[in-house]
Amino acid sequence: MRSSTSSSSSIRHWGVACFFCALVAVAVCVGTELHWRSLGYESGIIDSKLLWAEQRDQVDARGSRTPLVILGASRIEFSVDMDVLEDALPGYRPVMLAINGHYPLAVLRDLAEDEDFNGVVLCDIDARGLSAHYFDMQQPYVDYHRKQWTPSWRVHRRALDLWQSTAVIANPDFGLLPTLLRWSGGRADPWKSHIRFHRDRSADIDFQRVDTAAATQAFVDGFKRRLQSDPPPSPEQWLAGLAEVGKWVAQIKGRGGEVVFYDTPTSGKLREYADEAFPPSLYWDRLSATIHAPALRYTEISALENIPLADGSHLDFRNKHEYTHALIDALVDRGWVQR
Amino acid sequence: MQFDSFTFLAFFALVLAGYNALRAWGARKWLLLVASYVFYSAWNPPFLLLLLGSTTLDWLVARRIDAAEDPRRRKLWVIATLLINLGVLGYFKYSRFLLDNFAAALAGAGVNYAPPAFDIVLPIGISFYTFHSLSYCIDIYRRRFRPTASWRDYALYVGFFPQLVAGPITRFTQMREQIETPRSTTSAGLGMGLALLILGLFEKIVLADSVFAPIANAYFDAPGTADSAAAWTGVLAFSGQIFCDFAGYSSCALGSALALGFVLPINFRNPYAAVGFSDFWRRWHISLSSWLRDYLYVSLGGNRGGEWRTLRNLMLTMLIGGLWHGAAWTFVIWGGLHGLYLVLERTMRAHLWPARWNNVVLRFAYAIITLLGVCTAWAWFRAADVSQGWQIMLSLFDLHAAATGIGRLGPSQLAVLVTFSLLVLVHALFRNSGPIPWFSRLPAPLLGLLLGLMTAMIVLSPGDNHAFIYFQF
Repeated sequence: MRSSTSSSSSIRHWGVACFFCALVAVAVCVGTELHWRSLGYESGIIDSKLLWAEQRDQVDARGSRTPLVILGASRIEFSVDMDVLEDALPGYRPVMLAINGHYPLAVLRDLAEDEDFNGVVLCDIDARGLSAHYFDMQQPYVDYHRKQWTPSWRVHRRALDLWQSTAVIANPDFGLLPTLLRWSGGRADPWKSHIRFHRDRSADIDFQRVDTAAATQAFVDGFKRRLQSDPPPSPEQWLAGLAEVGKWVAQIKGRGGEVVFYDTPTSGKLREYADEAFPPSLYWDRLSATIHAPALRYTEISALENIPLADGSHLDFRNKHEYTHALIDALVDRGWVQR
Repeated sequence: MQFDSFTFLAFFALVLAGYNALRAWGARKWLLLVASYVFYSAWNPPFLLLLLGSTTLDWLVARRIDAAEDPRRRKLWVIATLLINLGVLGYFKYSRFLLDNFAAALAGAGVNYAPPAFDIVLPIGISFYTFHSLSYCIDIYRRRFRPTASWRDYALYVGFFPQLVAGPITRFTQMREQIETPRSTTSAGLGMGLALLILGLFEKIVLADSVFAPIANAYFDAPGTADSAAAWTGVLAFSGQIFCDFAGYSSCALGSALALGFVLPINFRNPYAAVGFSDFWRRWHISLSSWLRDYLYVSLGGNRGGEWRTLRNLMLTMLIGGLWHGAAWTFVIWGGLHGLYLVLERTMRAHLWPARWNNVVLRFAYAIITLLGVCTAWAWFRAADVSQGWQIMLSLFDLHAAATGIGRLGPSQLAVLVTFSLLVLVHALFRNSGPIPWFSRLPAPLLGLLLGLMTAMIVLSPGDNHAFIYFQF
């Protein structure tokens, strides 16, 4: 260290170093940002365990409104318009805890074990997701919230939201190493995502940016593959596995809360395969009586059943408004929530 | 809070501004102490009470040790503080391990015992601040210095936020004058401090988390599916990760302390260029190895009881040092391996070819052997359990498969090999130097350019935030 030099020369030395440091850092980062933007990429929030944990905190936030916790996977996460929920159900505080690609029962268990929770759970799940071996899929998120989520990360995540909303280079896909590896391997630039997340973790899918026929086929093929590698349990096995779910429901109800199971719409081949593998009369239709909780299947509501699903499983963000209203109407009509 | 978070950047800017806005040294120390406790509470606020309790108790006990004239009373007090500190550490860190092994031993004797299920959260940094406190009390017992009369000064020594959760494990003699003598931020200290902070974040975010961690995690998550070349890549990735992660933390610690006018001892001196295992331990986690030497190895008798006792003390020190890192047999094996390395090295130096020890070719060959030995031992450090450790060892020593498998490595794995080689090369080139003298020698524009590139690479390496590996110890 230049401790022996005079103070003014030290200031000059470090001043010059700081100047060049800032100049180079800003030039490289801004240049990279402009490069990606010129290729049509946009900034956006990236879903993560931190973002999920931030919303999990909202479940226990104090206030006069009842938490309305949305569990499930992508079908509900990408379909529900949170602003419509807020406006149409002013007595409730909607919280999005659904996680793309993961069945939700670990989070239901977490809410059941949360002595303070007495809100309403809207749990998007199909018969397959109620099979016992899928119960733990979302557990890593619960564990993260319980063991690693700290006040420090809360502050960090707030700042990260701002950074990710502002800069394309905040997305790991555009990081230095992934870019170098792509370039060295002659691989294409990242996929321009058609999914846009909000800070509340709900998301919009823009199917105008996607080859929907290919997306539909990919879903059907994926579902068939999963059914082959993981065949459905017998109805008896399936019902036996529900005993545990029934206990969690009873715990929440015992504190004055409510749990509504909701099988979200599917269409086309995906619906055919799902109904064939898990005939509703043998599986879903027996759910409510087994676990003593209300259950709603999209086939019961024509507005939900007929909603257009671009890939047979998800809806375009332009239909979210209509869909959310239809869902709210169904819940209110059955007395499970109040306007 | 972690150094690689927006929270720390905001926190540090506020602390630095507040520290320099205050004029009185006492007020500055209070500010640093409160800031350190805020820093610690950002993880798990209730554990601040444990830190406060431990600090206060050891401060009081140290005064008792100093005041007692009767050697037996002094010994009783020092034993009391050892029992309390190690008891608390043992409860949080080792109770599950001890119970599980107790149950396994009973099962071996045909008795079925299921230990109660309890999930103890380890207070972050407990191993580090316990060692701070112990060294203070033991040094007072050994009459190395008189205890401080100021609780605040002692609490700041234990809790000073740059080194609170993962070291360096400083001695009171290294910090006393700095705490008692007024100091402030200087342009040179701030400049070098920020430079070290950038270097530390570069090591952590760019190298440890972006380059090394994905390959290390992928390999250690499923070592059974990898061939020998992938096993070597995974182990070298972890070797790179653990160095960059921990050295990165230490650089950040040194840098943030320096910006406030405090000098912490360096914790790493290019360890992957070590020639020999005793040389490695003079370069790796220096503050821990010197702590173990001064308070454990010396207490066991050191090299005072003849050759066999010396070798025994070396082995015991390394075994206990291994266990300090974590409550698992894999850590004991890691420590045992290093103990074995040291024992063999000492024996060879004494008996086999003492005269040829300075031969250049021999030194080069021995540096390679040291590196391979250290990296192989890291496999045990990272393995999930003993059986996985064995599985990895078998993969590593299938050298034919290693040679044929190199062609099958993917670009990310090749990037790990190249980066690790560069890391070793940098260690070799700067073997007896460090970043501070090197940064000082560079012309300002070149230094700025280098730091600017590092900063850009940090910004351009977003991803999941990984906790520093040594936080779990």
